[in-house]
Amino acid sequence: MNSPRTPRRATCLILALSLGLSAGVQAQSTGAVAPRTYAVKDEAGASLPAYTIPDDAAIFRHPDAEAILYGQRLLNETRRLLPGHVGATMNCNSCHVVQGKKPLGAPFINTYNSFPQFNPRAGREMSLEERINGCMIRSMNGKMLAPDSREMKSMVAYMKWLAQDVPHGAKVQIRNSGPIDTRLVPDPVRGRGIYAAQCASCHGADGEGRKDARGNVIFPPLWGNESFNIGAGMARTYKAAAFVRDNMPMGVRTEGAWGEGGVLSDQDAVDVAEFFTHMPRPDFSGKRGDWPNGKKPKDARY
Amino acid sequence: MSNRRMKHTRKLLMGAGSVAILAMAATWGLAWQLQPEPPTNPGTALDDPALIRHGEYIARTADCIACHTAPGGQPFAGGLAMQTPAGTIHSTNITPDTVTGIGAYDYPAFRNAVKFGIRRDGATLYPAMPYPSYVIMPDADLYALYAYFMRAVKPQHQHNAPSTIPWPLNMRWPLVWWRALFAPERPFQPEPGMDDLLNRGKYLVEGPGHCGACHTPRGIGFQETALSLEDGDTFLSGALIDGWRAKSLRGEAQGLDSWTREEIVDFLATGRTDRVAAFGAMADVVGHSTRHMTPGDLDAIAAYLKRLPPAPGKPVAFSTKRDTLTDTLLDGTARTRGALLYREHCMACHRPDGQGVPRIFPALDGNSALFAQNPQSAIQITLEGGRMPLNPDTDTMAFAMPGFSHLSDRDIGEILSFIRGGWTNQASAVTADQVRQIRSFLNTKKSGIQTGDRHE
Repeated sequence: MNSPRTPRRATCLILALSLGLSAGVQAQSTGAVAPRTYAVKDEAGASLPAYTIPDDAAIFRHPDAEAILYGQRLLNETRRLLPGHVGATMNCNSCHVVQGKKPLGAPFINTYNSFPQFNPRAGREMSLEERINGCMIRSMNGKMLAPDSREMKSMVAYMKWLAQDVPHGAKVQIRNSGPIDTRLVPDPVRGRGIYAAQCASCHGADGEGRKDARGNVIFPPLWGNESFNIGAGMARTYKAAAFVRDNMPMGVRTEGAWGEGGVLSDQDAVDVAEFFTHMPRPDFSGKRGDWPNGKKPKDARY
Repeated sequence: MSNRRMKHTRKLLMGAGSVAILAMAATWGLAWQLQPEPPTNPGTALDDPALIRHGEYIARTADCIACHTAPGGQPFAGGLAMQTPAGTIHSTNITPDTVTGIGAYDYPAFRNAVKFGIRRDGATLYPAMPYPSYVIMPDADLYALYAYFMRAVKPQHQHNAPSTIPWPLNMRWPLVWWRALFAPERPFQPEPGMDDLLNRGKYLVEGPGHCGACHTPRGIGFQETALSLEDGDTFLSGALIDGWRAKSLRGEAQGLDSWTREEIVDFLATGRTDRVAAFGAMADVVGHSTRHMTPGDLDAIAAYLKRLPPAPGKPVAFSTKRDTLTDTLLDGTARTRGALLYREHCMACHRPDGQGVPRIFPALDGNSALFAQNPQSAIQITLEGGRMPLNPDTDTMAFAMPGFSHLSDRDIGEILSFIRGGWTNQASAVTADQVRQIRSFLNTKKSGIQTGDRHE
């Protein structure tokens, strides 16, 4: 019953013909799509030239390239490069994702042109350097940088470059964070389940985060001694919920800079945010000075 | 028309007609000669639950569902579009619906289709169906498979979609010759020097697993150039299919040399290891087929694959290369365009050391999908992104990579050259032109084929 194997090299006319029809690869280049461009409006609402998120490669064409690059590295690798000033196992880019270039991901796009700015938590106007130091002592659970230090100047240089030529007071028409309904009632028990399903793979079953072989931050700890303190914006349920809904989990979609988001509903996000923000974390020693004029938001931790 | 010319024309027509009649008669004769012998009666009742369960497992090992299910469609109801050089064909309805499916097939007819590519009406199936591999499956398994389809698969009334292959290429009768040349009847041949485990692996790889359908290069007649290692040294030596490079599964440096047996088992069971993740067509293979296999069968496959010798003409081992790149990424001195693009678009997940994060983000350093000679898979996944499969028994989440088609051909070339030559990797650079070719191939593919959950 075994028929002998016919030599494979024998040509099969019909199939050869069909291969001859092979479409092959058509020479029709599409190249890349245009980068994201946004409208810009000044304080009076008048339109200014549009803003385009710049590529990092453009930094080299800037006269202040060294400071800009150093500033970007400090924002991305804060813990490793500023160990004396960072208490948490976190980087600025743990929250200001994608080099501070992502709308809804706490971008730095409108930062430089928005300061000095009235800060409700401080009850007074604040410089950009003061605001960055606010992050250093809250989210980073660390120490302030000298306002005229090379580090501080470099971070500001990066934000200035990222703002491109948008003038002071004008705004690129993006949102730093998405709207969230603060009337949603958080359910931390449900949040714990969501955490296990959607967050724990990266941030750890005990919220401990993950480090690489050299001890550098991969995924920041979401609670415990190495996490942000209760003075951080991220310690507030609704602020955290909006961030988590729009930026987490990362690496789950084939779209977006980090393949992020699109998983949690508003209620999911509020529940999981209530859960992890209220787990044990460092206290904030300066908390008594916050909101001196009242109007404390309802999710404030103290 | 002159009398003489008319005579000449008539002669030509008669000649052509005779040739056609002779060819068809020869084909019919060949088809008759190729008629398989009817199977011996297996004697077990089709309703036997153990038989049906066994058949379900056989269906998993043969990965029937991947091709015979359209994205979002009923399982096994067919309709998945597959692009061939000649046009688009659609997989068929193999649910037991008596009108549109295979409900009217008796066991010998079913066996003829699976093992020999012969449809119930005698026509030859397009060789997209891997019957040259399935032919070595024993009757006991095929009968169980038949019982599973007839008794456990839900009938679905859904007519088969027509192919877009134009006449004369759509004629099936010449495929009898293809069958005679490239899909001979043959039994599984265990290798005498190997133990039962290795021979089980050999059987699964050559037969139901039909690994060669993607991983063995095809010849001029679209046939796999070797159906086993004895059959030819090109077996599983890697091939190009659908814009992907299906890697070499042989023992050389760029093949499976960098994989341990345990890693292969882990990969097939879960779609990932600490260093790599399945993507593209292989993600579907893991999701539909291998993750359902028993640990014993997966170990058999891994043991057999690790026993395969290096593919001919390929470097057996890499020369030693020390990683000097990580430090320059960390201290900010890596300043090439590729390095800057890597920092901006890739480093958050794949990390400065190119090691990724175990089971979450694949490593790029020492990843055989990246250091392959042919960069096609790396280009495609960079343009389109990818998704790893999920085995809920071992992992809570499946991760995905976003596509970067918004970057220019040149920049994707720069990034991939940086990665392929970075850390300890030693693969060649990728040109903008190579990226442009894959990009335009993908655009053509998208217009001609459904995308989604599938494998070709």
